[in-house]
Amino acid sequence: MAKITRRSFVGIMAASTTALSMPSIAFGALPRVVVIGGGAGGATAAKYIAKDSKGAVDVTLVEASKRYYTCFFSNLYLGDFRNYGSIGHNYYGLAVNHGVNMVHEWASSVNGAEKKVYLGSGATVSYDKLVISPGIDLKFNSVNGYSPEAQSIMPHAWKSGTQVQLLKNQVKGMKKGGTFVMVPPPNPYRCPPGPYERISMIAHQFKKTNPTAKIVVLDPKNKFSKQGLFMEGWQKHYPGMIEWISADTHGGIKKINTSTMEFETDLDTFKADAASVIPAQQAGRIAMNAGVNKGDWCPIVPASMQSQADENIYVLGDASIAKSMPKSGFSANSQAKVAANHIRGSLTGSKVFAPRFANTCWSLVATNDGIKVGANYDAKPDKINKTSGFISKTGEDSNLRKATYEESIGWYSGITSDMFS
Amino acid sequence: MKSKFVFFSIIILLLFSNKILADDKALAGADFEYGQHLSGECVTCHNSTGLGQGIPKITGMNTAVFIKKILAYKTKEKDNAVMQMVADRLGEEEINSLALYLSKTK
Repeated sequence: MAKITRRSFVGIMAASTTALSMPSIAFGALPRVVVIGGGAGGATAAKYIAKDSKGAVDVTLVEASKRYYTCFFSNLYLGDFRNYGSIGHNYYGLAVNHGVNMVHEWASSVNGAEKKVYLGSGATVSYDKLVISPGIDLKFNSVNGYSPEAQSIMPHAWKSGTQVQLLKNQVKGMKKGGTFVMVPPPNPYRCPPGPYERISMIAHQFKKTNPTAKIVVLDPKNKFSKQGLFMEGWQKHYPGMIEWISADTHGGIKKINTSTMEFETDLDTFKADAASVIPAQQAGRIAMNAGVNKGDWCPIVPASMQSQADENIYVLGDASIAKSMPKSGFSANSQAKVAANHIRGSLTGSKVFAPRFANTCWSLVATNDGIKVGANYDAKPDKINKTSGFISKTGEDSNLRKATYEESIGWYSGITSDMFS
Repeated sequence: MKSKFVFFSIIILLLFSNKILADDKALAGADFEYGQHLSGECVTCHNSTGLGQGIPKITGMNTAVFIKKILAYKTKEKDNAVMQMVADRLGEEEINSLALYLSKTK
């Protein structure tokens, strides 16, 4: 019999402790989590499950892009407050720091009964728990005359990337004194203040290089997020440049013509020299293929973000019906942490804490003029319930607005670091 | 000479460990794991590298300093709508758990 030294005894003890506390590791069968979509919901969920489980859960993130351009802050790129490179991020941090297995492919379908995800290449990935965080798809036919082809003429730029670059080029290249027409989306949609921050940033561009240009907003709604604050800012910084026309006033957009650049409404036909059309939205296609949607969006269990259709699938961010939370990157990041804690708990027995949700949306109206709206939420059986909130006030002093803008820069740095490193 | 050194080392270590125990006792209901979980809410904005302009680094913060700041937001002595909202729903157990976790995190 081999002599057991003190050192080898400690070694045996350590090995047996590991085997007892983490039996799945000892037998080489780690529980598997697959995450579809590497945005604010998916990247955060993948990171937190991998980081907090310390190797006890195998995490695979399926995301087609190797470099991810955030939708949030793409408006600041339009206004020349950010360069394009600064809103792009890669997944090296998730792979290297947390051991997330990156699969850069499209997920084409999900078999919930067999717990398998089918990839574009034909390969399959098995899961114990699946997170679907695909963001939005656009309903091109929600605006008569708009189409996937038309997006090169009137960019929606509502998924970040080349569409935003295209829109910026069209704004900068618009003829002097021309008219830019903007069609915001109907509710519900990704980033409620986003279209109005975009209008602000386009106006900011025009003020610098094309000060006689006009912006006409043909809104399918009669009111919008932070309306009083945006209206006040437009009057202050861009007087006479922006005309916002409510649905009741224009009577509805009957048709758009991408050849003549005309927008036909009950009120009038508006002719554009450049335009952006953001159509209605729905959950990303993979959520529909997985069958976890009910209509355009996916119902969830508020306490965990589990799909109401399949307890092994979690739906995060824009694709989910997370009333009363808005569809924002901040919301998706917050929901991801609730889901990650719940998934880890169900797979490893780790502690599951009471869900807490939060959101804040910052918008930039003009140089150093930032505004914000935010809320806390808890989970009620039937909805994610707003418990308190705040919004910037009209007439705030310029120092506070500057501090709010600087805070938004800090937030961008924080959330992208939280997602990707 | 050597035994004297060992003796004083032990005394110093005892004093030091008493100090740690005293600090942890002061943080009623503090739980490191709960603090780590709650900190997920902080790091959406507070960059752990401290590189974020406009939002300060909070990791490695002294527990007493952290608690004082949070309480100042809670009572609205300190002005920031986001932080007042964050502090508003933190009870003593949450604040102490966060203080404990953040103080021990780089």
